[in-house]
Amino acid sequence: MNELFQDLVVQMLIGISTGLILALVASGLTLIFGIMDVVNFAHGELFMLGAYMGWVFFTMTGSFWLGLAAAALCVFVFGLIMQRSALRSLIGSDPLTTILATFGISLVLQTAAIWIWGPTVRRVGAAFTGHVAVFHLQFPVYRFLVAMLSLAIIGGLWLFMHRGRFGLWIRATTQDRQMALAMGIPVPLVHTVVFGIGAAMAATSGYLYAPILGVDPTMGVNNILRAFIIVVVGGMGNLWGSVLAAVFIGMLEALAVIWVSPALAVIFSFAALIVTLLVRPTGLFVAVPR
Amino acid sequence: MLKLQDVQAFYGKSHVLHGVSLDVEDGQVVGLLGRNGVGKSTTLKAIMGLVAVQSGSITFAGHDLHRQRPYRIPRLGIGYVPEDRRIFPQLTVLDNLRTGFDRRGAAARTEQLLEQAYGSFPRLKERQRQLAGTLSGGEQQMLAIARAMMLDPQIILLDEPTEGLMPRLVGQIREIIDVLRQASVSILLVEQNVPMTLAVSDRVYLMERGAIRHEAPASELSVDDDVIHKYLGV
Repeated sequence: MNELFQDLVVQMLIGISTGLILALVASGLTLIFGIMDVVNFAHGELFMLGAYMGWVFFTMTGSFWLGLAAAALCVFVFGLIMQRSALRSLIGSDPLTTILATFGISLVLQTAAIWIWGPTVRRVGAAFTGHVAVFHLQFPVYRFLVAMLSLAIIGGLWLFMHRGRFGLWIRATTQDRQMALAMGIPVPLVHTVVFGIGAAMAATSGYLYAPILGVDPTMGVNNILRAFIIVVVGGMGNLWGSVLAAVFIGMLEALAVIWVSPALAVIFSFAALIVTLLVRPTGLFVAVPR
Repeated sequence: MLKLQDVQAFYGKSHVLHGVSLDVEDGQVVGLLGRNGVGKSTTLKAIMGLVAVQSGSITFAGHDLHRQRPYRIPRLGIGYVPEDRRIFPQLTVLDNLRTGFDRRGAAARTEQLLEQAYGSFPRLKERQRQLAGTLSGGEQQMLAIARAMMLDPQIILLDEPTEGLMPRLVGQIREIIDVLRQASVSILLVEQNVPMTLAVSDRVYLMERGAIRHEAPASELSVDDDVIHKYLGV
């Protein structure tokens, strides 16, 4: 019994930290969907690109923080270019067109990554390697750091959206695009910048997750599925809904691992998705104000 | 100041405006009357660049609006108060007012405009920290007008401001129109409320099936005129 209690505590810690990392990817995805109705199927590749860019700079400079900044900045600029060139003219048209466009971009990016870096998984060491003893398990400090960083970045995004003029423009455009135009808000610019921010968040997450997952061209595809589940469970376009849903899904899978194999744990996420779609299709956490 | 010439516009695939021509001169209040679905609201959306204009011209103070990006149109000094108010429900009252692009770019100017808006609508000041979606219908209408005033416009396009309001509030809207007129803000007023429109307007256009059918000074028309019956009678 005591052993089960220890397992529960440890798995909950793992679940919360994984959840917060996933929240970083999912909140970018939900932010982009909320404001421009684009389901970004290339989000996983932006995550992957961030991991590569960050670790290129990390190995070059030896600084964890420079790697983080480089991942965010490079993919932010890439996101601006991608939105401006491929998506801007499609916004407002049939959702299928933006799905096809972003899916196409995801294939191009995956192939480009194989071409540039090769298909092998790069193992990258964590920048901070300490451990904290939690009962019988050594809990890596790095996981804790990553969870806190994710939370800080999401908090920073919230502050950006609630202080200052540009954040107000983002919130107004999310609520009513036409009326935002009629108030003189430069909606196309707001869309492009928000896409860049979402891309940078995915990149940051990819970089932070790299020591846990390893870096390879398919890391985007393999991990983005849960982000999509989270976005739906949290309510499409709802920022805090996504954060809560991410922690919920992270915990659900971590706790499931106590009884079933890790490969089977993902079934619980799908179950949560199906229940959400059946019971509350607008999201489990819609009552939470964004 | 604002001039539409033979404007043809589509809403989706349906042809809504079949050559609308009208003009609003400096400081004038111009009424646009017509039954439901004749294209009054679409005319205002065409001016704001929110529907695709196929042909014709829309000019404002020397600018060809047809060629402007939609978000630049309000910056030229055109305020828009849409039919269903379209306040930002998840923003506070104050934030709704702050969305307006300050075309002179100065923060001091924003403060001054805010004072002015609160002066006209003291109720909004009391509720400035409240989410706009929680306001009553009448308060939302006030907010929509105040928000347009934050653009320091030369003209305001008002789309059915009295729709669904209690008579007391209709009187208040009339007062606001008079205040705007005194501040020499022009108004293009779309309405179905004939007595109110005739009372506040300088000139009136009557619209039917996507085109202007009649134009007259408001003082020459009365609620019982044949022409009013023809285009507005049930």
